[in-house]
Amino acid sequence: MVFEQEQEEVAPGAVHGHRLSTVVPSSVTGEVDYALADADLAFKLHYLRGVYYYPPGEVARGLATKVLKDPMFPWLDDYFPVAGRVRRAEQEAAGGEGDAGAPRRPYIKCNDCGVRIVEAKCDRDMDEWLRDDAPDRLRQLCYDKVLGPELFFSPLLYVQITNFKCGGLALGFSWAHLIGDVPSAVTCFNKWAQILSGKKPEDTVLTPLNKPVQGQSPAGVTAPRSVKQVGPIEDHWLVSAGRDMACYSFHVSDAVLKKLQQQQKGRHDAAAGTFELVSALAWQTVAKIRGGDVDTVTVVRTGAAARSGKSLANEMTVGYVASAGSSPAKTDVAELAALLAKNVVDETAAVAAFQGDVLVYGGANLTLMDMEQVNVYALEIKGLRPVHVEYGMDGVGEEGAVLVQPDADGRGRLVTAVLPRDEIDSLRAALGTALQVA
Amino acid sequence: MGSSAAHQLKQLKPLYQHVVNNFVAVLAAPLAVAAVVNAARVGPDELLGRLQALRAVHVFLAVFVAAAAATLYVMLRPRSVYLVDYACFRTRPNCRVPFATFLEHAKLVTFVEGASIDERSVRFMTRLLERSGLGEETCLPPAHHYIPPYRNMEASRAEVELVIFSAIDDLLAKTGISPNAIDILVVNCSLFAPIPSFTDMIIHRYGMRPDIRNVHLSGMGCSAGLISVGLAKNFLQVAPKGAHALVVSTETITPNYYVGKERAMLLPNCLFRMGGAAVLLSTSRARARFRLARVVRTLTGAQDSAYRCVFQEEDGEGHRGINLSKDLMTIAGDALKANITAIGPLVLPASEQLLFALSFIARRVVNRHVKPYLPDFRTAFEHFCIHAGGRAVIDELQRSLGLSDQDVEASRMALHRFGNTSSSSVWYELAYIEAKGRMRRGDRVWMIGFGSGFKCNSAAWECIAPARTAEGPWAESISRYPVDIPEVLKH
Repeated sequence: MVFEQEQEEVAPGAVHGHRLSTVVPSSVTGEVDYALADADLAFKLHYLRGVYYYPPGEVARGLATKVLKDPMFPWLDDYFPVAGRVRRAEQEAAGGEGDAGAPRRPYIKCNDCGVRIVEAKCDRDMDEWLRDDAPDRLRQLCYDKVLGPELFFSPLLYVQITNFKCGGLALGFSWAHLIGDVPSAVTCFNKWAQILSGKKPEDTVLTPLNKPVQGQSPAGVTAPRSVKQVGPIEDHWLVSAGRDMACYSFHVSDAVLKKLQQQQKGRHDAAAGTFELVSALAWQTVAKIRGGDVDTVTVVRTGAAARSGKSLANEMTVGYVASAGSSPAKTDVAELAALLAKNVVDETAAVAAFQGDVLVYGGANLTLMDMEQVNVYALEIKGLRPVHVEYGMDGVGEEGAVLVQPDADGRGRLVTAVLPRDEIDSLRAALGTALQVA
Repeated sequence: MGSSAAHQLKQLKPLYQHVVNNFVAVLAAPLAVAAVVNAARVGPDELLGRLQALRAVHVFLAVFVAAAAATLYVMLRPRSVYLVDYACFRTRPNCRVPFATFLEHAKLVTFVEGASIDERSVRFMTRLLERSGLGEETCLPPAHHYIPPYRNMEASRAEVELVIFSAIDDLLAKTGISPNAIDILVVNCSLFAPIPSFTDMIIHRYGMRPDIRNVHLSGMGCSAGLISVGLAKNFLQVAPKGAHALVVSTETITPNYYVGKERAMLLPNCLFRMGGAAVLLSTSRARARFRLARVVRTLTGAQDSAYRCVFQEEDGEGHRGINLSKDLMTIAGDALKANITAIGPLVLPASEQLLFALSFIARRVVNRHVKPYLPDFRTAFEHFCIHAGGRAVIDELQRSLGLSDQDVEASRMALHRFGNTSSSSVWYELAYIEAKGRMRRGDRVWMIGFGSGFKCNSAAWECIAPARTAEGPWAESISRYPVDIPEVLKH
């Protein structure tokens, strides 16, 4: 008997009927441990939530759960660390008085425990759902669990398959940032889709093995400006922000982009790209609704520097920018964009080397994340391209975060803001004016 | 006495076996020689004279009686039953359950209303799994990959169809036989007996004949596979010559997940896994691979302790499960002794039986403390397929029968790769032996099954032709076996 609470009243239009199951790697991995890099541990309190919407039709109708699950078994053979569980290293017996109080270093035990699959239904049409533009709809379509309180039994990845009344399908991925950054995650998901479509994906590279960085900054040093120190975190890897956070996505159209680019034409330092322009707009809007006081922002980008080529890694650059003097609410978007282009202070190494637990997104400052280069629309299932993709984040601090993503046709941008719930309405109103083309 | 004396005795043993096993020949040879010598001495003329003196009626009567006796003997002798081929369900990677997943699911089911598995139960199951002898590739049905697992009829039927239809498809492909050439259908599955039965499911799916004789055996325990073979053998005695019987052995796991916390009832959750086998028997020797020599069934259910040894019941909280009593090993040992006593005289060569009889007499008459002679069953069989009920069962049998590690290797490896698949485990073990290329023409196989009741059943086979292809449940994994299974597999 499916143990859903059939007797309970289901709020009309809510996602319901959740059925959990597990998918494991198809062959035995053996006694393997996956070491976590310092950069991985810096992001351990954050969780990516990505939703892909697929339109109703013949192809979607043929996507029974079994069809979606079967390719996951060989997929996890390649990505076996994702099917593992977090453990803490054994206490060092000998070797001096290594702090008895210091938490033991986490690692991933690749015990083939698996990835959790959630099947759910929604009694609304997908178009209606998308048009509604409800804040935090991401949370309904991605299983919102985190690592802990039982680390031993917490999956690193949840995949939720939601079926809409019209036949449309939504795939929601909940990915622990610990195991890899957005490009790693998206490549991982794309590989699953390739296996489903019968193609052979590229090999997964999991070497060289992660090692703790030499020259750790000694304890007692303050955290880098980009991040906020929290904790110490025990076994529940979520810092609950005092206020309820919600994700809200909005579209920055081609036309608006052109207008922004026009605005910076006259400047001598017109070096800002679309990310800088769009996130500057977001920065300015958030500053307006908060009445100033967003002087510094943290910037997380998929490094312009080449990635190492490892399939699972946290290699995004982390830095901060301070707005010189004037409040960002009153500064031009073009000027803010110029700051973002030129004046970012890189703190990637310092953040990785820092020993305590930190909040990168929304911790110390509003965080702007660059996802422009990430090919999210490549997750084609049997040739069916998603009509809409939005990525949000959980575990974001009160300062909030803004994720800039490519949109469906590649010319505009989709922006997801993760802010305290009570700021969402003000944001919508402020955006109404900001996004006008005329 | 010393080791040199014992060594001499050992060397004499083969000579002793030769003499005793061919006793008739040993006795007849000198008699025949004496008769020939006598006849030669008497002379041919004298012999001819004696023959002509015999009366015609006496001669006719002698010949007639001899011929009648021979004909009667041939007619009343039971028909030989042959195994044409067999096929085991080949597990899929998408049903795989590693230890970590099994334990995580058990832990998460604790949050479901109606389940009472608690922390202590999960720890107990962890210890069980570590010492169980199971590997990380055993499979559970898709319904058990859900949290909480489905236990309803639809899911149970889905598992049955998955297992037996694929095993039967494999078998029909291997033997080339058509479904409507099957005259007898026997299926055994202990713990799931829907209406219509499994046999009706099979007849429906494969479009079998309306006059097929079908029987579904349920509730007969883990040794039911051999009971089904025995039943099919009996059917074949009265069916037309050359009839075919399809025997399907399986166990359905889906409806039987135990959600309580009684320790004695948690063991089946940990050990039982998905599996099934389909076997084609016939009285026609054409294309046969094995000959069924014996089926011997022993039941000890008349005693209370044996009867209650494996008992399905509800626990204190109302959750249904199978209760395994603490003296399972002792009872299994006793049942085995009963079975050996029954099958021994039928299969052991005369030399072993004589030694056993002598030791028996010696114990009774001469001295109580003479060690009972343990017949060496390796003189009767080349291969052993012991039901992979669990590590303890295999260890106990190895000790009782005095078998080597190689003799029980098939059982241990089948337990490691497939878990306890109940009545079909003996077929997975036979498949292992064949996959390893150890089966030769003329080799004899002993299948032993144990089950609730308490029953101990044996079947003895003789190989006519080893497997022609490498297809089978072990095809992908055989290269990794045998593996060394540690006492405790730490997690």
